[in-house]
Amino acid sequence: MRRIVVALAGTALMLAGLLALSGCAASTTASTTQLTVTGSTTLLPIAEVSAEDFMAANSGTRVLVSGVGSSAGIESVTNGTCDIGTSSRELKPAELSLGLVDTPVARDAIAVIVNPGNPVTSLNTSQVADIFSGKVRNWKEVGGPDLEIGLVNRDEASGTRQAFLELVMKGRDFDPTAAVLPGTGQVRSVVAQSRIAVGYISLGFVDSSVKAIVIDGVAPTPATVADKSYPVSRVLHFLTKGEPQGLAKQFIDYVLSPTIQDSVVPDAGFLPMSAGVK
Amino acid sequence: MAGDPDLTGHDVAPEMCADTDAALRAPEPPKQPPRRALMKITPATYLKEAALKNLFLLCAFVAVAGVALIFIFVGIKGWPIFGKVGLLNFLGGATWLPTQGHFGILPLIVNSLLAMTGALILGGPLAVGTAIFLSEVASPRARAIVRPAVELLAGIPSVVYGFFGLVLLRPIIASLFGGLGFGLLTVWLILAVMIVPTIATLTEDALGSVPEGIREASYSMGATKWQTIWRVLLPAAKIGIIDAIILGMGRAIGETMAVVMVAGNAGVIPDGILKPFLTLTTVIVMDMPYASGDHTTALFGIAIVLFIISMLFVAAIRVISRFGKQVG
Repeated sequence: MRRIVVALAGTALMLAGLLALSGCAASTTASTTQLTVTGSTTLLPIAEVSAEDFMAANSGTRVLVSGVGSSAGIESVTNGTCDIGTSSRELKPAELSLGLVDTPVARDAIAVIVNPGNPVTSLNTSQVADIFSGKVRNWKEVGGPDLEIGLVNRDEASGTRQAFLELVMKGRDFDPTAAVLPGTGQVRSVVAQSRIAVGYISLGFVDSSVKAIVIDGVAPTPATVADKSYPVSRVLHFLTKGEPQGLAKQFIDYVLSPTIQDSVVPDAGFLPMSAGVK
Repeated sequence: MAGDPDLTGHDVAPEMCADTDAALRAPEPPKQPPRRALMKITPATYLKEAALKNLFLLCAFVAVAGVALIFIFVGIKGWPIFGKVGLLNFLGGATWLPTQGHFGILPLIVNSLLAMTGALILGGPLAVGTAIFLSEVASPRARAIVRPAVELLAGIPSVVYGFFGLVLLRPIIASLFGGLGFGLLTVWLILAVMIVPTIATLTEDALGSVPEGIREASYSMGATKWQTIWRVLLPAAKIGIIDAIILGMGRAIGETMAVVMVAGNAGVIPDGILKPFLTLTTVIVMDMPYASGDHTTALFGIAIVLFIISMLFVAAIRVISRFGKQVG
């Protein structure tokens, strides 16, 4: 009997505790202003760091960031479950009539890189897709020396890989026998060391140890990315339902300010919106 | 006195030894004291003994509980994949494309076995040779240099081996044989060095436990050093050496960090020793950060397979040792 009483008392205490906790949570939500940012995983590094800095600069605000994919981001900003939807792709024709306002926040360009000693300097998009799908296995087939191609791919967790898949492969699968390396730095150093290697990294991480390939006659530079002539590039978007207002506007302005554009954006391997624009 | 081996058939307290000595010197009167000394064991001593016994029991229990907990956890997490994909499709499926719903780990099993076998073929003789040198050939001075070096090899973190392989060995192999340098050959060389300490130290122990009399008998029959080693010592230490090699196999198949950096991680059976490949251990490192749903379950399923492989190795060692005892 006593045991039952004790158990009951314990349960009551726990319930009281839970109520108190939830009460707390409710009151904090009420006293702060909250912004939800949902969508592209590619944009996560920018959105997360911006959110942290923004919250530090504006006490009493809360910015919740999550990465669920661009389509899910567009979906949730449309039906109002988040304030800002983030997307690494353009809106589809069917999505243009949803009343979404698009604010580009950064550019993402991927460079196909080879060793500086490789005579190949220029390829077209379908040649690049042929190389990465394993259809072309020798450099001589694309105007290079008679050497086997050393394909270097990224792991599936990589946002660069996903972007490359969408922008270049267009539905074709990667060659499963390619070397898979877990980082931009590793891809770059392997390509820098090997004459036969080819890989891809974000344009922001290209340096003099590797050579970026001219694709469809356009060299990857901030200027060609800005005027959209370089084909392996995309714009990263913040989408709002109607013109951004209040906290959403404040946050977007902050992301577009030099604080974020000149440090966080390039650190994540992206190009700021202003880069290369005349 | 207390350490005198002739007196310590059982564990005897030092004061008792002293008393027995006294008894030996003067047999008649002090017949009583040893008994009194025996009876001096107080309840506190018993308590301490019992406490220590339980302390050691607890230590052993933690080890057993650790193994059991890991096995249960991995089992619970990984079991559903066998139901979802089917045991045969999981173990025998030739396609590992987890993000597209293909969960066949046969290429990974084959790759792990390939990596292990090559490492063993290269590293095994190297390790046994090192052990023979240390145990039979080396002068005390050479031994004083070689043995710490071998022990130091065991102490190098595997990520350092991997880094060494990635930065130094891989470009050398790429320039000598072509390709990118990611592949079985690089992994074999790295693993061969990594398993040397495991096999060498245990083989040296096995050779050391061969009774000196057997060596002397061999030499007195006119056998040379080489004949003694090849015909007498290696057969006599056979069981210990096989155990050492199996432990080396376990080390090779379980190695992850060093392999992931030089294997190239392509989820197919490589069509050459210079082509990238993925193993049972490296797939877990590569995929865990982003895996979700069935993919995660499949990785735990792979962990179950690894667990069973290492249990088979341990079982093999036990069976061989028992068999060796019966024969010997």
